[in-house]
Amino acid sequence: MALTDSLKSAFVLLAITLTLTGCASKGPLPWLETTDYRERLQTQTEGGVRVSTSVLSASESQTLYGVPLARKGIQPVWIEVQNHDDTPYWFMSLGLDPYYIPASEAADAFTGNNVDTYHELTQHFQQLAFQNPVLPGATVSGFILTNLHEGVKMVEVDLVASGHLKTFSFLSEIPGFRADYGGKEHLEDTPDDVINYTDDAAFRAALEALPCCVSNKKGTRNGDPLNLVIIGGRDDAFPALVRRGWSPTEATYTGSVMKMINSVLSGERYPYSPISPLYLYGRPQDLALQKARDNVHQRNHLRLWLSPMRYHSQLVWVGQISRDIGTRLTIHSPYLTTHKIDPNVDTALLALIEDLIYSQHLSKIALVKGVGAAPRDAPRQNLTTDPYYTAGNRGVLFFDEHSTSLADIEFLPWEGSAGGMVKAASKDGNQ
Amino acid sequence: MRYPTTGAACLQASLDVSPHAIGLVLICWLCLALSGCSTWQAPPAIDDTALRERAVTATHRDVQVSATVLSTEDNEKFFAANINDTGVQSVWVEVVNNSLHTLWLLQSGTDPDYFSPLEVAWSLHKPLSPGTNSKIDDHFDDLSFEGLVQPGETRTGILYTNPHHGTRILNIDLLGQRTIFPFTLFPPVPEDIDRDKSDEIAKLFADSEHNDYQDEAAFRLALEQLPCCASDTRGSITGDPINLVLIGEFADIGAALIRRGYRHIPQDQDQTQLVFNRPPDLVARKTGQGGVPANWLRVWIAPFRYQGQPVLLIQSGRPVGGRFRPADGGKPVLHPAIDETRSLVAQDLLYSGGLEKLGFVEGVNPVTTEQLFNHPGEFAYHSDGLRAVFFIITRPLSLSDVEILDWVPALERQVNEAAEENAQENTDTQQTQ
Repeated sequence: MALTDSLKSAFVLLAITLTLTGCASKGPLPWLETTDYRERLQTQTEGGVRVSTSVLSASESQTLYGVPLARKGIQPVWIEVQNHDDTPYWFMSLGLDPYYIPASEAADAFTGNNVDTYHELTQHFQQLAFQNPVLPGATVSGFILTNLHEGVKMVEVDLVASGHLKTFSFLSEIPGFRADYGGKEHLEDTPDDVINYTDDAAFRAALEALPCCVSNKKGTRNGDPLNLVIIGGRDDAFPALVRRGWSPTEATYTGSVMKMINSVLSGERYPYSPISPLYLYGRPQDLALQKARDNVHQRNHLRLWLSPMRYHSQLVWVGQISRDIGTRLTIHSPYLTTHKIDPNVDTALLALIEDLIYSQHLSKIALVKGVGAAPRDAPRQNLTTDPYYTAGNRGVLFFDEHSTSLADIEFLPWEGSAGGMVKAASKDGNQ
Repeated sequence: MRYPTTGAACLQASLDVSPHAIGLVLICWLCLALSGCSTWQAPPAIDDTALRERAVTATHRDVQVSATVLSTEDNEKFFAANINDTGVQSVWVEVVNNSLHTLWLLQSGTDPDYFSPLEVAWSLHKPLSPGTNSKIDDHFDDLSFEGLVQPGETRTGILYTNPHHGTRILNIDLLGQRTIFPFTLFPPVPEDIDRDKSDEIAKLFADSEHNDYQDEAAFRLALEQLPCCASDTRGSITGDPINLVLIGEFADIGAALIRRGYRHIPQDQDQTQLVFNRPPDLVARKTGQGGVPANWLRVWIAPFRYQGQPVLLIQSGRPVGGRFRPADGGKPVLHPAIDETRSLVAQDLLYSGGLEKLGFVEGVNPVTTEQLFNHPGEFAYHSDGLRAVFFIITRPLSLSDVEILDWVPALERQVNEAAEENAQENTDTQQTQ
């Protein structure tokens, strides 16, 4: 028994020594290969650059870092970049998570006032971290510490070189969590009834003909307005959303409801709050995203359904955006609480568009009819009886995988409120 | 935003009057709750004359923007409530559009976490008072800056934002068809008027015109020869390192930082860091989600320019403990990993759309982590010793347009090291063979 303990101690010591003596931040990490995350690697190649990623589960991150990162809301993402181009690249952690946690800050969460622990843990965290730059001919790998996402994570890898950008986007499933994500199989399937629009007028008409609103499961009652259309997918729209801090939500189940209630009571930020299923095409949302602001009272919710439409072969998502301004009690939800949404849903739509204007992937904006006007003095109600009013347009956002500067965004001459922006701005052409 | 607990306040008020009469208190509280504690009445008339008189104004390509931060008194006159108490700073804005473009004021550019009018109104709602609440909603909605500014139109309204202190750094991005009219104004914050440094800052900028570097090599040398760090009040170089340099028009630099969520929030501890024998001219802070302790940028205006452009010297830092720091953690202390913070700011600027060029110069004393850990108390940070240098421009650029200058000693060093390693490996291989 004593011998076994000694062996264990020696092994642990050896493992720590290996960890602390480097080699971990660049190149392969042989001692890490015993964990599962390497089996979930996703890889993409563009030109001479190959990027692989994997998102760690809570238990995997505890094994690697030796501390329960997930309990502090931290989730490591493993990134490997092989650079066969002739220019150095810098990986942008802020593109992966605008609120990412630098390695030394994460170490602070576990060190307390013990100086020895502080040095040891800080060095350990630093050695596991991804280290810029990626020089020509080099392979660099390491971890970026992000805010914990459950179920699925959008992993965005922006590599910047002088006068040049490469973007890689992944959707990673994380074992051990559930989320409001319809499953990759569903999203990547190409149904038989897909219509690919190449004519703008026909596409606009198709968007106008969409239902005004989401519905309940039986399709008997209308809910929130379908006021958003996103054109793009993994390589353009999703990176834009990730860069601006949008993340998939946790599914509505008892655990998340309890967490939200605790969050309300404590007034602290909880990165997820349950988002109820709403229905379109006879199914709940394919993707539910949210952007937390200051606390649980302040977050924006976005539900998206992948439509059977395509626009010049790009994916077309139809959705609904709302802005929470608080929580309130309700008898229309089994959980007895719901978000109080901003009744002016056009404000929420504009806020989303403004947010994405700064993402550098939004190239064109348009408005189309289809929601139907609901004036302020005669508001409609959603499924939880929250009143809302709107001018009746839906925002159509076109994304492009190439970055677009603020000064190059185009407004299509489709629809606008009386004398509105899109119609009027288009008269000026490209001035 | 802070939510007032009207019911609790009423209950407390009641308890103060009669602490033992619990039943009476509860009935009183219920009555008060039902009546909304106090009835909100819309102001009889809105007069923005005082705001116009105090407004700061800027003009750019046929568009004029004026702005004023509302005082507590203005708040009462406009909203019949002091929304400063809810953590919202209201800003009056007027846009005069004499261009041919329809312009959209991007509130996300003014404050990425701005508040909608009905969100601010919601924080003032009274329990069980639907009629009053509806009036509050309408009032805040009507006063807000909404919609688009058509060619030839003048539009005014209120933006509901997170607070800045001292001087507001107000970024107004007006988006048109494939164009943008960016403005940065510096209206004072009335409650902090004694901390308003606008005149002082204007003088520093004016003085810097007398020493204008035209030659890149000479300018680079000047940056490298700046003191590594701030000094204390006795002149000892014991302060935090100056690890960033920003070059560009002040308004463009302000715009780039504001778009990325920085706010002007100086604090007492900033005043002990002296460069050019004075505390920082401005301090920008970026607070993470959930109001966690902020990263800071302490800014000094350099006494020189580069090719006519102002130069700002900056200490970037974040507190030990960061977002995991306990609320009662005392005065924030600089986290020794200063290069991580430098990287964070660099990335923020890359995504801001305002960065044109990026380079590095020497100038901060390099300290290894081993030195830091093995000589406790001797060093306050570890760093590769480089200052990041950013050139900021007005014309928005995308990420793929940023030029990385070849004055990058860090990269040169690493490329050389990699080349040496490769050469050594080749030699070893040949010897083995």
